[in-house]
Amino acid sequence: MSRLDTKFGKKLKKYGATEFNRCYNCGTCTAVCSLTNSEDSFPRSMVRLSAAGDQNGIESSLKPWLCYYCGECSTSCPQTANPGELMMSLRRWLTGRYDWTGLSGLFYRSSLVTIIAMVLVFAGVIGYAAYESFDMERIMHTAHYFEMFAIMGVFAVILLPNIVRMWYLTVIKPGYKLPVKVYASSMSELFIHMFTQKRALGCDDNQARWFAHLILVIGYLTLLFTTVFLDWFSTESMFVVVLGYVVSAIVFAVTFVFVLGRIKQKQEIAKHSRPSDWFFIIWLLLMGITAFAVRLFIDLDLLAGNLWLFLFHFTILAQWALIIVPFGKWTHFLYRSFAMYFDKLQKSK
Amino acid sequence: MKKKLGVYICACGGNISDYVDIEKVREAVKDEDCLVLAKTTMFACGDTNQKDMEQDIKENDLSGIVVASCSPKLHLTTFRGVSERAGLNKYNYVHANIREQGSWAHSDNKVGATEKAINLVKAAIAKARLAESLEPIIIESKRSVAVIGAGVAGMKAAISLARMKDEVYLIEREGKVGGHLSALEKISPEGTDGRELLARLEKEIAAEPNITLLTNAEVTGTSGNIGDFKVDVTIKGSQGEMVKQFVAGSILVATGFNSYTPAEGEFGYSNIKSVITLPEFKALISEGGKADADGTMRLYYNNREVQSIAYIYCVGSRQVKGENKYCSRYCCTAAIQSSLDVREKFPNVDNFHFTRGVRTYGKQELIYKESNDKGDVYIQFPDKKPPVVSEENGKVLVKAIDILSEKSESEVVADLLVLVTGMVPDSDTALGNLLKLPKGRDKFFNEIHPKLRPVETVIDGITIAGTCQGPKNVAESVNSALSAAAKSHSFVSLGELELEPIVAYVDNDTCNWCTACSDVCPFSAVSMIDHNGKAVAQINKSTCKGCGMCLPVCPSDSIELISFTNKEMESMIDVLAQ
Repeated sequence: MSRLDTKFGKKLKKYGATEFNRCYNCGTCTAVCSLTNSEDSFPRSMVRLSAAGDQNGIESSLKPWLCYYCGECSTSCPQTANPGELMMSLRRWLTGRYDWTGLSGLFYRSSLVTIIAMVLVFAGVIGYAAYESFDMERIMHTAHYFEMFAIMGVFAVILLPNIVRMWYLTVIKPGYKLPVKVYASSMSELFIHMFTQKRALGCDDNQARWFAHLILVIGYLTLLFTTVFLDWFSTESMFVVVLGYVVSAIVFAVTFVFVLGRIKQKQEIAKHSRPSDWFFIIWLLLMGITAFAVRLFIDLDLLAGNLWLFLFHFTILAQWALIIVPFGKWTHFLYRSFAMYFDKLQKSK
Repeated sequence: MKKKLGVYICACGGNISDYVDIEKVREAVKDEDCLVLAKTTMFACGDTNQKDMEQDIKENDLSGIVVASCSPKLHLTTFRGVSERAGLNKYNYVHANIREQGSWAHSDNKVGATEKAINLVKAAIAKARLAESLEPIIIESKRSVAVIGAGVAGMKAAISLARMKDEVYLIEREGKVGGHLSALEKISPEGTDGRELLARLEKEIAAEPNITLLTNAEVTGTSGNIGDFKVDVTIKGSQGEMVKQFVAGSILVATGFNSYTPAEGEFGYSNIKSVITLPEFKALISEGGKADADGTMRLYYNNREVQSIAYIYCVGSRQVKGENKYCSRYCCTAAIQSSLDVREKFPNVDNFHFTRGVRTYGKQELIYKESNDKGDVYIQFPDKKPPVVSEENGKVLVKAIDILSEKSESEVVADLLVLVTGMVPDSDTALGNLLKLPKGRDKFFNEIHPKLRPVETVIDGITIAGTCQGPKNVAESVNSALSAAAKSHSFVSLGELELEPIVAYVDNDTCNWCTACSDVCPFSAVSMIDHNGKAVAQINKSTCKGCGMCLPVCPSDSIELISFTNKEMESMIDVLAQ
């Protein structure tokens, strides 16, 4: 029994879903979707739950994560109800729902709050640099450790509890009682999808987008590994230096293509950019460019100008690690793969 | 003088000839008395054959023809036309139905079908031998029309007739004109104000010298026939009742509808205070608002603020258990329009619609889209499991199964439940009985043919318009009103009317006025007259339809039906009995 309610639908508008109420339930979206099947039927079912305001139904569902947004549902919708963007908005809302701090939802709903948070982080970085009297070596040293601790801290304090909450809402609360053996045997699903996004290949005409995304993920993870664990900015190893250049170039090249797509708005998926989408992709682009530039300046012995460049890079890095990774679109990386894992758990019953 | 007859046997492109051996039929009848010509044809109704027939009639100087083909319902007029064009009186053509009554009925028995066809054609020939030339009955027609009911349909019809220079009597039961129009604040899809429409129509009526408007008036008696209806109207006034009489060449009935009143307890109606019907809700939207301190309009019902409204559709229409099987057409649109109105006037109201599939056909679909766009929630419940309504803390709890959400159960707690009630026929059946207007299974007045004769009734001269015929919206009512006006005008405009001469007549010498014929006549065409000091029956030629009901009940066998006389029928039976 679900109680009808229009509040939820109104709330969703702030997450980007502004047109889904137009739906008259023809089901064209579900018919054209190449990922839906009889077990997981969407997006119409999700549009329906959203219109009826069935918050419980949505938070216990993994369907929003099973959609990889090819946009065909939106282009085929006779009512221009934009079901694809609804699915995206539900992912944003769910991210907020899983996040115990409540900051995710706040950032998604308000770009002003996001900008304030970004400015605060920037002020923190500058404040710290001033505290160290703008000593380049010390700042670089701290930045290196910051990155390491930020990753571990964010994961332990924010992301891990949030994944537990996601697990509770989608597996425990709906009543799936499963033996540990099942949890272990389904684990492969998690890693396959985390690193390959294999399911996205099921979207029609998506090979190129999937490949670009795969390269970006590998590039991003390698860049992270190179800077944090191989200490790219201070290393003497020629291999590591070249590797760093290559992967940072990959990151900014691929993101540049994505940014261009969102500006040109030729594909359905790139037509509805929210501030959260822009922040994610631009910060990724900046991270690639600044990392590349910092190492280049070091190699060219242009240290004097490099301080400000490095502070810029450090700011981007800090904002990325403290805002976008724990509360922003980056979390899709985790939630999507865990959704595949939990989905496997649900179906093993 | 001996008749000269021609016979045409149609193959109907195989429809007949696949089962009936038409060549054999021709062989069997070709030597019948009076026959000078017997032909088979692939399509009797085809243009070429029609032309051949005309030529045959002229060249052979035929005095009668028989066509053996499909049902006369399809092509009676076709072959009457052929006869007339060839200069033969059309009543000398006789039809034999060897398709519906022959080949189709006996497709399992070709020999039997052929035998039956031979007999039918021979019987038709027998009748054709005796057939007589007839001339249509001409009657005088008074150039005036009585329009009964001054709702939007009646008013529009009256204006239209008056502009065609007919004298119009517009008769309204209530004290003022307009009917339901005055209760419509906004009419979809353009959002026209019903009261504005009404004011415009009233002005146009007042400006028409040809319209006599009678309010507080009811038709209490009618007699006569097409071209000459005598109408008695009883008018209630401050000095009591008076009866006015006038003559109308045609009567246009536009008596409208009643809104369905839910039974006690139907979806909580009359048991739960916050359950009201759509017309009551419309009145509430115009009257139930109060502005609060900051100027926001808020809706109140029974002194409680209304923030959430549930609507249950198809109440009294499309009933699964009840008798009203029809769709009331207007209610989906009217309910959605009201829900938009209430939202516009009171911005903090939420709407929840429980439907059986929304039918906002045509342009009205736009308001459904608008309503969706604005965030109204639509639940579609299964036909056989309607929502369950109960009271909860002074509010209304509506529970329903939503077939659009995998049949899951949904519920809403609403401050107000609106039952979207449909249209039912006028509960006052006096007029219908007076005019003997036939009704359909839905108890609305019935037209002759829903597609081809949509505003005429089987009573010659009486047309119907608007919602007395069945549920319609304003635009559709006006459409039918203009159509009925044109039809009524066609009855009176020429000053005279041609009627079919196939009517019954009485032999005054043998009739003893026993009333048996007048008792069975469905058209009240029989009356008593004095014939040389003897009471006898007389049949009104303008009212008689030639149905033949009076013939078999007459104990003295004093009634004959023209073109179906005893002699003709007996000659046919003789042939069939051979």
